[in-house]
Amino acid sequence: MFKKILIANRGEIAVRIIRACRELGIATVAVYSDADRDALHVMLADEAYHIGPSKPSESYLVGEKVVAAAKESGAEAIHPGFGFLSENDSFAELCEKEGVVFIGPSAEAIRLMGDKVTARKIAREANLPLVPGSEGAVSDVEASRVAKKIGYPVMIKASAGGGGKGMRLVNSKEEFESSLRMARSEAFSSFGDDSVFIEKFIQQPRHVEVQVLGDRHGNLLHLFERECSIQRRHQKVIEEAPSGFISQKTRKNMCEVALRIAKAVDYFGAGTVEFIMDQEENFYFLEMNTRVQVEHPVTEMITGLDIVKWMIRIASGEKLPFKQSAVKMQGHALECRVYAEDPATNFLPSPGPLHYVRAPSGPGVRDDSSVYSGCEITSFYDPMLSKLVVWGNSREDAVNRMLSALREYVVLGVRTNLGFLIRMMRDPEFRKAQIDTGFIERHPELLVPGESDPEVILMAAAVAMNGGSNQIAQGTKAVSSGWKHFARRMGVSGNPLL
Amino acid sequence: MTYTFKLGNRTYKVDFEEKEGLGLIGIDGEQKEMEFLRIDENTCSILVDNRSVTVGIFREAKKIQVFYEGDLYEIEAVSGRDASQSEGTGSLDITAPMHSRVVKILKKVGDNVEVGDSVIVVEAMKMESELKASASGTIKEIRAKEGETVEKDSVLVALSDSE
Repeated sequence: MFKKILIANRGEIAVRIIRACRELGIATVAVYSDADRDALHVMLADEAYHIGPSKPSESYLVGEKVVAAAKESGAEAIHPGFGFLSENDSFAELCEKEGVVFIGPSAEAIRLMGDKVTARKIAREANLPLVPGSEGAVSDVEASRVAKKIGYPVMIKASAGGGGKGMRLVNSKEEFESSLRMARSEAFSSFGDDSVFIEKFIQQPRHVEVQVLGDRHGNLLHLFERECSIQRRHQKVIEEAPSGFISQKTRKNMCEVALRIAKAVDYFGAGTVEFIMDQEENFYFLEMNTRVQVEHPVTEMITGLDIVKWMIRIASGEKLPFKQSAVKMQGHALECRVYAEDPATNFLPSPGPLHYVRAPSGPGVRDDSSVYSGCEITSFYDPMLSKLVVWGNSREDAVNRMLSALREYVVLGVRTNLGFLIRMMRDPEFRKAQIDTGFIERHPELLVPGESDPEVILMAAAVAMNGGSNQIAQGTKAVSSGWKHFARRMGVSGNPLL
Repeated sequence: MTYTFKLGNRTYKVDFEEKEGLGLIGIDGEQKEMEFLRIDENTCSILVDNRSVTVGIFREAKKIQVFYEGDLYEIEAVSGRDASQSEGTGSLDITAPMHSRVVKILKKVGDNVEVGDSVIVVEAMKMESELKASASGTIKEIRAKEGETVEKDSVLVALSDSE
């Protein structure tokens, strides 16, 4: 086993990995940018190395600086977390060349799965279900032939596309010709390339993915599925395991399919095979993520397996000591991503000083966070504050527990999506697992607070102005001592037992 | 004490009297008694007819934040004179919601805009956001340049009232 590991990341995932290392008795090395000197991961690690300016492209994304810090500190391995360098095959190669173990799959597996066209080709060869459509770019004649064959509605997508440009939904044959023309012209003006391909349009799609885990000795297992259909700006917000929708038969089939593509690239480490699913439980391969996933905790909660620790053990050469049949799931887990953002303004990020935070607790509640009272949410990085995860015996139990935990959360300073998440947990359709990736767009009423008690809010405002007889000095961030609190409480009521 | 609080688009006149942890609050003339306990600088426990509510509070001069059931309410304490002045003369300017980079300016000086029209695109935290006009009017001045980095609250586009 390794004696020292460098964590090439920041935020809650860096904290999560540091905790796993500590439990394994491994020393930890943090790297940080200018903006992150006061970050929790720096404080929790045993050693910390400054790697440059706040911009990720000048610090967290510079593989050479990360590897140099690893060598200087004597770390034998690097855990990349997610984002940043985690799916960068050249970085994995660089680590290998410099004699530092990259905690993840082979550079080759990252490269193959990272390229969408190659991944789709491998998926087809491994006989994975793919969204029906044309094989790559098509001529006008071919396009209409494919559309007719797969059946309407279809999507026309720009080959060079992204961001919804050059994309057209076509509901019928009559609309096809003009839509194709518009898609091509939009694609040309946006990307300088008018080639398009055709795909079947999945109505009310759900996002379901399978966690896989393999060692370097050819053992490959799945840890069941997660459903991540609640998304905003094409990013997941609420995830759960297992899916509250699919049948046991679909689950079995889907997990087997996921293992097929992992096997095709000799996968080891933790990985996720993502699928898009229609309302009839037909599922199609989307892509494979070759790293630890943000939402990995929900799988940990239902299987009892620590995915981050297994990634480390696997990288050090350990064999998985259990078989597929030993992997069981129990109960239901939910994760809410708590973001510094304003749902009322299309989830616009809300950076700024975080004056105060109090996280919930209680049985079955886990808060993977990296923020604390007095820290700053900068605009350099993702505005995620924490991942609130709960476990319950059933989905209903888990939803109720999540609701209760969310109501305990307090964040002052920046706007958050907490109120929105509370309203989600109360939504009747969500509670019945009637969800798909268009859910948030269909429910704009969840984005803003409903009728609340203005009297309580105004009362609180008056207390904030006045403070009562226990007026507390303003403008200071310093946390006062327990004795002072006690004295103040005495002052408030004149009765310490109140 | 009497306060004038702006919450959302509404202004409330709040009379607040405190006696041994009991708050007597009058909102626009209507009286209500609540028991409150300031737990720490940022936490206040309130009992409203035995209903227990815990809120987060933060104050910086006249700006107050109240966190209640997952939502953050931003309240401004305005003095009597400020309150009358602010009637109907709220700023129409479009300001940067955060430290960000100006990606694209969608309008030019002299353009008429309606409420909700996108005026400028900014980027922060890897995400682009369109800033929209909060009132109808005419673009009076554009103070931002494409590609420029702007600070929070800086005025990017000045609007003048539609006649």
